[in-house]
Amino acid sequence: MRLRETSLIAAREIREALRSRWFAAAAASFLVLALGLSWLGLAGAQRSGLAGFDRTTAALLNLALLFVPLIALSLGGLGIAGELEDGSLAVLLANPVTRAEVFFGKYLGMVGAVSAAVVAGFGLAGVVVGVLAGGGEVRPFLLLVALTLLLAAAMLAVGTLISVATRSRARAVGAAFAAWLALVYLCDLGAIGLAIARALSPGQVFALALVNPVEQARVLGTLALTNRPEVLGPAGLFGADHFGPLGLQLLLVGALVTWSLASLAAGWSLFRKAVVS
Amino acid sequence: MIKVTGLTLDLGERRVLEHLSFQVARGESVALVGPNGSGKTSVLRCILGLLPYSGKITVAGHDAWREPVAARTLVGYLPQRSAFGDSTALETLRFTARLRGLDPRRSLAALERVGLAKVAHERARTFSGGMQQRLALAAALLSDPPVLLFDEPTASLDRAGQKSFLALAAGLRGEGRTLVLASHRAEEIDQLADRVLELDFGRLLPEREDSTVVPLFAQGAVS
Repeated sequence: MRLRETSLIAAREIREALRSRWFAAAAASFLVLALGLSWLGLAGAQRSGLAGFDRTTAALLNLALLFVPLIALSLGGLGIAGELEDGSLAVLLANPVTRAEVFFGKYLGMVGAVSAAVVAGFGLAGVVVGVLAGGGEVRPFLLLVALTLLLAAAMLAVGTLISVATRSRARAVGAAFAAWLALVYLCDLGAIGLAIARALSPGQVFALALVNPVEQARVLGTLALTNRPEVLGPAGLFGADHFGPLGLQLLLVGALVTWSLASLAAGWSLFRKAVVS
Repeated sequence: MIKVTGLTLDLGERRVLEHLSFQVARGESVALVGPNGSGKTSVLRCILGLLPYSGKITVAGHDAWREPVAARTLVGYLPQRSAFGDSTALETLRFTARLRGLDPRRSLAALERVGLAKVAHERARTFSGGMQQRLALAAALLSDPPVLLFDEPTASLDRAGQKSFLALAAGLRGEGRTLVLASHRAEEIDQLADRVLELDFGRLLPEREDSTVVPLFAQGAVS
């Protein structure tokens, strides 16, 4: 795989994503919500006397866990399916580029586009809080940004897999939305239900959390904010006891990276011999 | 220049191409004809490595599947239906030029050649079918490739567009390029092809002594 060609394709992907009305609307909504939450967090902080960054970071974590998977899964889902459907992928692949350069170039471009939206949203929120409130620790806020980018990369990889597997815009959007619903809401509810119904041990609940990338990000974000695993309940304590606080964070980061790599590998195995028409 | 050996293509349960073998010599112009669904477009897409086939295809000795970069460097492709995402006409050509290792500054001249210089900064998505086809032609010719693959090139053009395209294509043929044309338009085949290969449900029919298109009318292979 050649770096120059891969970067050219990635750069085009970023430009096209930023021009897309849907993506622009989603990124603008994210920015407005991030600013709104920061403002509200700031107002609450002034009343309660809490430091600005701490409170705002907690609010932004929930926004990131809800919104970023939605943007990333949808963008990833449309990435290849949309171009397969309208024929532009065939035009692109008729050039002297390899399938690997196209596949990974498009993925990296989408990571770049979502990263730009995340950094813009959180960056502006950070500036507002930093200027108006000051105080509190900046480190958890920066960790939240890094964590969100990691989550976005994992969700884009899942979206790309969906895109290659479904091959049509409508099916890809439907599957991406179903995946978002499952990862953000249903897995959580399912894990709680299973834990109650089957009286799962803390270790089993912890293992369930490792299955879902959104849950991994939630636990990581909470640890970054509080550094107190007990707020995560018995499963968090189990993780901290077995792996240590740093080991637990590394394990969760590793699990998120594994999600990205495994989804990309599965997507690539389908794409390398896909029918391009 | 192009050598196809035992080309077989299965899409799902359906066999689309059945053990095709043929060669196209350097500078030769060959038309693939046959009714809709006979496999003309699939042959072109296999030459480009867009479809996972069995058998072997080489372009100037480069395996189309195993050495796609080397093979596609030599090929300009004009698809039946073109799409360029959200880019403008000029951005599309600049991107193509960079991918092909060319100077992007030649893009504007390429647009002038196909009469699209005035709309260089407009999004290609908003173009009519004919304009998109001209943009695709500019992209196909940008690197001055020795091999051209045209898939129903005039299908979306009006009468004037068809005439100007045929004049341009005849000029390209005169420059000694190798041309493979999928078509069922008698005028195109007559003007552009030295030789006709007939496909029938994925099988290659024996070549005729008479290479004119007249007998093909009777079969409905051309119109």
